[in-house]
Amino acid sequence: MAAQPYGLVAVFDTAPAVYHAAETVRDAGYKCWDCITPFPIHGLDRAMGLRRSKVPRISLVGGVLGFTTGMSMIWFTSAYDYPLLVGGKPYFSPMFAFPVSYELTILFTAFATIGGMFLLNRLPMHYHPVLKSDHIVRGLDDKFLVVIEARDPKFNLAATRALLEKAGGREITELEA
Amino acid sequence: MAAGAPAAGRALVIGLAGIALTALGLLVSGGAKVAFSWLVALTFWGGIALGMLFLVMIHHIFDASWSVVIRRQFEHGLASFKWLALLFLPLVASVYFAPGAVWKWMNPAYDLAQVGGSGTVGEDVLWAKKAALLNPTAFVVITVLSFGIWIWLSARLRAASFAQDADGDLKWTYRNRVTAAFGLPLAAVTLTLAIVLWVKSLDYHWFSTMYGVWYFAGCVRAALSMGVLIMVWLWVRGDYRGVLNANHFHSIGQLMFAFTVFWAYVTFSQYFLIWNANIPEETFWYNLREMNSATGFANQWKWVGMLLLFGHFFVPFFLLLSYKRKLSRTQMPWVALWIAAIFLLDLIYNIWPSKKDGNGDALPFLQLHQVWTVTAVIGVGGICVWAYLRSFPTTKLIPIRDPRIGESLTYHESSAD
Repeated sequence: MAAQPYGLVAVFDTAPAVYHAAETVRDAGYKCWDCITPFPIHGLDRAMGLRRSKVPRISLVGGVLGFTTGMSMIWFTSAYDYPLLVGGKPYFSPMFAFPVSYELTILFTAFATIGGMFLLNRLPMHYHPVLKSDHIVRGLDDKFLVVIEARDPKFNLAATRALLEKAGGREITELEA
Repeated sequence: MAAGAPAAGRALVIGLAGIALTALGLLVSGGAKVAFSWLVALTFWGGIALGMLFLVMIHHIFDASWSVVIRRQFEHGLASFKWLALLFLPLVASVYFAPGAVWKWMNPAYDLAQVGGSGTVGEDVLWAKKAALLNPTAFVVITVLSFGIWIWLSARLRAASFAQDADGDLKWTYRNRVTAAFGLPLAAVTLTLAIVLWVKSLDYHWFSTMYGVWYFAGCVRAALSMGVLIMVWLWVRGDYRGVLNANHFHSIGQLMFAFTVFWAYVTFSQYFLIWNANIPEETFWYNLREMNSATGFANQWKWVGMLLLFGHFFVPFFLLLSYKRKLSRTQMPWVALWIAAIFLLDLIYNIWPSKKDGNGDALPFLQLHQVWTVTAVIGVGGICVWAYLRSFPTTKLIPIRDPRIGESLTYHESSAD
């Protein structure tokens, strides 16, 4: 067994308990840690000190790419590569390129949003050390877990354990890496 | 709430003063021009009231929860319908006492040469084909019926919501849901018929299947803007402290964004289909708003149209993309005011160019007669604000016994920074 564990996991019995524990861990300055709860807890993101997701920025890039792809594709096909007069209209006009650009804006924004979400969450992830823990099953059912990872610069086996104890965590165990 | 009464009195005085000034305009510019200003003011404030009516009914039909705390303000806004109906009466009177002065087709003997055409309305085959709808009787019946339906729906929605404050009975929620279920199609049909008869038929040759939807989009945008202004006003005054949180502002901001895109979609579709088909029966409507046939040069309306394109779509679109701005209680009132002001400009753009000179060209946008548009908007607005403020102190600030009030007060949708 490796000397350095993946991290520490602590069990909490109620949503308020894990909420306040999250505040304690946040205030202690930890960065690489997470809460595992059976259901979404309103306000937990704030208690954990999480920033707003970066996905919208990736969505915006997707949208801009989609719009420019639509416009340039129509220009390329009907005004540059194979100039074609249709209905006495100009070879290129943003007017008739707009519906296609609009659709591609939406399509690329959707792709960027889904892709960005997967990327930022490092999905798909087929294995995670917490899955080895005996607590994980309860954590998906009726218990609330806090996991602090060893790669956190503030991580110290004894001090972190003490912090989790102070926050009211029970059954604090080391996670095998 | 105590501040309601004197403010209401002030609004009433401003409203009556605006109306008196507009009446003075009759002597300066003549009834036919002032009537256009009056129509702009009524479709603007009527549009806001209609938007609020739709928002309240949409709230009920979706059994929405987050909007419970702001629904009450829209319900107060619905108090303006009966006054709007009263203020519409001069236009109904014009049907009988000055036919043709506002809507040319009201008078079959109207000489179209005055507006660059030939013959009379009665000889115009394009009118004859549409005469089943475009006749004074249909106009008056539909106008009266529309206002009647809007007033009736408003009264039902308000009465049930206010009654629930007292007894907390769930039956009021169910009753409003039923009202919304039949009210939405009723309001959609009457809104479409009303705007077609009141505004689109000013140029009765023209046709566009988008027209009702275009007005609906504008109405809801203006109503949401008014909602944001009221929310921030009551927040600053203290009423809404502890009631509203960042998520309420975020959600109404998202709706404003969605309806910005919806308005653009509808308005662009209308323009694009006409541009693409390129047939004179339809294109004349946009040509009128772009250049003078007499000189071939661009007229002022072209720049109004450009302002609509950028000011009514691109500017609000990019402003409302930002999450932080949607939460900002200092920036959002300006965005809301801007959207409401451009909705007004959109109506002016749709109404005024129908006033033509002998060449059939639109009278310019910047003309002295537009002063009466300003006074009419202030006048009708004063009355609408008065109606709102008069209704405001008669009930609780929020529907305290609504079954979803708890959900609304603790509304939480996502990570709010």
